[in-house]
Amino acid sequence: MAGRPQKKLFSRKKVCRFCADKEVEINYKDVKTLRNFVSERGKIIPRRIVGTCATHQRQLCEAIKQARHIALLPYSGSSQG
Amino acid sequence: MRRYEMIFILRPSLGEDEINNIVDYSKQIILDENGIIIDLNKWGMKKLAYPIKKEMQGYYVYCEYAGTPAAVSEIERKFRIDDAVLKYLTIKTAESITEEEAQLAIGETEARNAAAQEAAQAETDDDSDEDADDENSDATETEEDN
Repeated sequence: MAGRPQKKLFSRKKVCRFCADKEVEINYKDVKTLRNFVSERGKIIPRRIVGTCATHQRQLCEAIKQARHIALLPYSGSSQG
Repeated sequence: MRRYEMIFILRPSLGEDEINNIVDYSKQIILDENGIIIDLNKWGMKKLAYPIKKEMQGYYVYCEYAGTPAAVSEIERKFRIDDAVLKYLTIKTAESITEEEAQLAIGETEARNAAAQEAAQAETDDDSDEDADDENSDATETEEDN
């Protein structure tokens, strides 16, 4: 439709979960936490969507890859597939 | 010395003896290199996220130790030869660790294990009279609300 494009329709400030809650540590053995940061297909969700800060995203990325290596997380597909 | 943590996955078809055998020889390698074992934990059978060597399940063993790089390479060489080890992962958690620090860490893990055991025991106790407990907790909650 015509008209000027609206700027942000829904803008919610994203906060890095690990900065907000200092108790949560990033560890490759903690599969429950890591599951929140991978998609259903097992891909790592980008920072622009989950809103983690650069430092923590880097650590998270490392942890997910380690967890994948030791078969705690899938490389692709769901845990069943 | 450096501090490492190691996880390895064993074939699910192995017997108790074979598992102990593998754990023992990796332990022996660490000790031969004057290392210290901080924590050794058998996680037991777990489902793998993807099949490894056509196995869908694996027996996880977790080990934390202070040791030398030579010990790590020797253990990994052994694991590569051993057909029963599906996969292994060694991660360096600290660049240097003294003997005293290692002893401290051992104390910590022991305390943690004891606490975990107590929690597990408390849980089993709870299970036996779960219904009674639930009713009680509900009653207290409503009182607090008022």
